[in-house]
Amino acid sequence: MRFNEKELIFLSRQPSERAAELGMRGPKKGDVMKRRLVKLIVNFLFYFRTDEEEPIGALLLEQCRVEREDDMAFSIAFLDEAERKYLFECDSQEQCLEWIDAIIKASYEFMRKNLIFYRSEIHRLTGKDPLEQYGISDETRFQVSSGLPPLPPPPT
Amino acid sequence: MKLNERSVAHYATCNSPPDKTGFLWKKGERNPTYHRRWCVLKGNMLFYFEERDSREPVGVIVLEGCTVELCDSESEEFAFAIRFDCARARVYKLAAESQVAMESWVKALSRATFDYMRLLVRELERQLEEAQQGALSQQAKNKPKKSQVQGGTGGRSKPTSLQGPLTQPTGSPEEGLLSLIPGKENGVSWNKPAGLSNGVGEGSGVVWEAESRGDSVRPPPIPPRRKTPGGSLEDPVSPGTGCFSKLHDWYGKEVAELRVEWLQSQ
Repeated sequence: MRFNEKELIFLSRQPSERAAELGMRGPKKGDVMKRRLVKLIVNFLFYFRTDEEEPIGALLLEQCRVEREDDMAFSIAFLDEAERKYLFECDSQEQCLEWIDAIIKASYEFMRKNLIFYRSEIHRLTGKDPLEQYGISDETRFQVSSGLPPLPPPPT
Repeated sequence: MKLNERSVAHYATCNSPPDKTGFLWKKGERNPTYHRRWCVLKGNMLFYFEERDSREPVGVIVLEGCTVELCDSESEEFAFAIRFDCARARVYKLAAESQVAMESWVKALSRATFDYMRLLVRELERQLEEAQQGALSQQAKNKPKKSQVQGGTGGRSKPTSLQGPLTQPTGSPEEGLLSLIPGKENGVSWNKPAGLSNGVGEGSGVVWEAESRGDSVRPPPIPPRRKTPGGSLEDPVSPGTGCFSKLHDWYGKEVAELRVEWLQSQ
């Protein structure tokens, strides 16, 4: 599958949400734990050799599951291959929890759910659709019943 | 650079609903001919397939950091381009099959970035906090008597899937949402796509009436047409634009002017 690698590499140089040197082990049998610079940018996790400018790779953080593995370790697995886990070792419990939290919140789909929730709640509390003022109420992207057409108004 | 391609491809075809789909003509990577591709926009990724029923995408364009612009093409009507800001970046040339389709795609793609969504979420988060403050102070004023029924907001039915802890104003709305995520025993959360078990579900029959639109809101104009080809374009999402409404106005001004121009030229 082709992807815009140059642009992704450029993205990996942007300011990150979170970055740290962590131990990282790939999902394949025989992969060993290595020290990597790990950077969280939008919904991607980039990983670098600690002294290199260009990332070795990137993980798109959609459709994934983050799990605490140990006191100071967590794993990321993707739903289409749930047994293959990427393992990360942190330097403290606190750091581990922070990373888990950050990665969960990094997914686009997670943000979308938040948005839909806020939209509904604001509507419930104020009677107004907050997206109306921006003229984007009808965008599929923001629908309460995601993807389905908006519900017709009930008969009065 | 490595990428978890299989999982990325899975995101394209999994059951979460896409933001937009349709056929687009895409200019080839190596050769200059246009190929008809089935395109699926999901989140900040534009996938393209050979056929509508292809199981795997031919490729994906990660839309982060891009600008979408109309372009003049000798061979293609309804052409537009996805342009990136980095050095030696590609320009993806695409063409829709009608004016309406083109405008719709340009709009959808311009709003596809993570940054856009993040700004919007933060703005709504702020608005929700305000609304919750308002509701709290309202409750404090109305001392409920036994015989009196708390009116609420005009008898509107609550979204049924948002019951439970979320209907009480919590400290942080995000915490409220997170508490719905079924945790594992050791307190870890799933990053589940297909809805939460009792939370904001997809297609779970959320009851929310669309407001009747007496004065219908016009759809927003399409994003600005860039007149300078190539080169580095000014990034509209400047670091200073932390406020969504300012950002929206920024887009809106230039667009409104262009729209007037275009309408007058018809």
